[in-house]
Amino acid sequence: MNAVTFSVFIFLFLVVTVLGFAAARWRRAESMANLDEWGLGGRGFGTFISWFLIGGDLYTAYTFIAVPATLFAGSAVGFFAVPYTIVIYPLIFLFLPKLWSVSHRHGYVTPADFVEGRYDSRPLALAIALTGILATMPYIALQLVGIQVVLDVMGLGQNSDNWFIKDLPLFIAFIVLAAYTYSSGLRAPALIAFVKDILIYVAIIVAVVYLPHKLGGWGHIFDVANDSFTKFNTDNADAIASGTAAPKGMIPPPLAHWAYASLALGSALALFMYPHSVTAVLSTRNRSVIRRNAALLPAYSFLLGLLALLGFVAIAAGVSVGDPPNPQLAVPQLFENEFPPWFAGVAFAAIVIGALVPAAIMSIAAANLWTRNIYKAFINRNATDAQETQSSKWASLVVKFGALVFVLSFSKQFAINLQLLGGVWILQTLPAIVVGLYTRWFHRWALLIGWAVGMGYGTWLAYGVPLPTDPSSHFGGPLVLLPWSDTTKVYIAVLALAANLIVTVVLTFVFRAMKLSAGVDQTRDDDYWADIGDQGVEPELDPHREVHA
Amino acid sequence: MSDSRLPSPPSRGLWILICVILAPAVILPLWVGLYDKDEPRLGGWPFFFWFQMALIILSAVLTVIAFALSRAADRKDREWRAGMAARRTDAAG
Repeated sequence: MNAVTFSVFIFLFLVVTVLGFAAARWRRAESMANLDEWGLGGRGFGTFISWFLIGGDLYTAYTFIAVPATLFAGSAVGFFAVPYTIVIYPLIFLFLPKLWSVSHRHGYVTPADFVEGRYDSRPLALAIALTGILATMPYIALQLVGIQVVLDVMGLGQNSDNWFIKDLPLFIAFIVLAAYTYSSGLRAPALIAFVKDILIYVAIIVAVVYLPHKLGGWGHIFDVANDSFTKFNTDNADAIASGTAAPKGMIPPPLAHWAYASLALGSALALFMYPHSVTAVLSTRNRSVIRRNAALLPAYSFLLGLLALLGFVAIAAGVSVGDPPNPQLAVPQLFENEFPPWFAGVAFAAIVIGALVPAAIMSIAAANLWTRNIYKAFINRNATDAQETQSSKWASLVVKFGALVFVLSFSKQFAINLQLLGGVWILQTLPAIVVGLYTRWFHRWALLIGWAVGMGYGTWLAYGVPLPTDPSSHFGGPLVLLPWSDTTKVYIAVLALAANLIVTVVLTFVFRAMKLSAGVDQTRDDDYWADIGDQGVEPELDPHREVHA
Repeated sequence: MSDSRLPSPPSRGLWILICVILAPAVILPLWVGLYDKDEPRLGGWPFFFWFQMALIILSAVLTVIAFALSRAADRKDREWRAGMAARRTDAAG
């Protein structure tokens, strides 16, 4: 453990945390209600500031740790995160303003609210809410793994046979996260956003400018990485031929094109259905802020691409990641090796805070979903404010425990697989939510059965994927062979969504022929175009208020 | 639920144009066969990598254009809806 690195890390971590709590207290006197509802998007903030804040929230452990790890490990499809973040913005541009309008017209705070209003189906709304909570857990798990690897590189995790000592960094990460959210709610994460984001941008920009320059330039880095992959493939030719090792590469071979494209498209479609992204979208000031941000956000994809390539930079720098290798150590170890100790401390603090804050926001969004669409809808219809708050706090703790279970029981080797598993589940809500924004043709019972089929099929497929190193393991990767192909793999989420849609369409025909009641639609055509200032459009959504016609 | 089909708003053409403008930002990144190559390199970067970075810039430009058009489309629709509402009031009165 380097004393300077560790001191700087602890110092920055404490400053940011104390600042968050102090700021929450300071603002409390002025406008408690505003802070209470503060989402990610920064309602009331101008375009530039919300752009700055949203950007800071995009840089989670996913971008810092998980994506570079796949490139470091020589996965030829690892760079899919870049097309993913390109495809996402046109989709946001087209779909989400409609969701904004209808939600602000009827007081919908969650996607489950919308689905219940649109389809007049409580079971379907329950399914949507449960999916959101479940899918958030592995996403939080990824953040925990991110914090863990940083603590590990700093020397907090000792090599020990004792499972508790070995996972100590993970437990520290979990306790810090739990304490953080339980006591401060959404307020502290929101108010430390500025300090946190400045830290993150400094770390990113130094990392993507200074490191490649120091290590001989990008051209050299690409060559070294490519040579090391070629060498690996030659040395392990037998293992690759027998299927016990995966070949490495930088560019997806023709057989992996579908895998690359389906990972990008599936992830893009999934992202904005997570509870925390919906909160962010709905908290913007008016419809056109969403579109303007969609036009500005691609700048972040550029930095994300450079961060991903740090995986190759780590190869060029000769970073070693332990035995058995843990590729997720690549970026923190690179920082430790190449940065002066004090700046390594800054960068580590940036990564840890950058994982902690999104994890807190995700767990709170999932907890609100629980309270609004499950607790109040099914368990205690006349809950008092105090009961609601208590239920939310417990739910956010349970969600984090769920995340811990995911970390402990699934392979941590590639945390990105956790996020991709969450994507398999959340994508099954697309027919009800996204298609529902355009047409009510799908029958509510067909949607529910289609959802169940997609969830079951997707989970079953994911269960059947072993880790390359251990044929008896499960949930080892995001890709499966297409049912009619021996060679072409695709992202499970897209396959499960296809099954979901087919069942939904077929059953919609059947149920309509049977004249099964389709319920009453609470929304009208012009609700989907309403903007701020129109009749009945609420400028701010209050999570404690009921939806209305 | 809407009782009758509303006549299509005047922005329809503009929205088709917006979708056409945004289409490359969705299709090109997913068309992997187009860019799965090492050559030509740019400043040492394999084509695969620099092409995707260039796509980010392209998609940003397209989204800015689409944003401007969507403002025009929304404005047109608002005027049209206001006109419809006024006519309905006249007919009722």
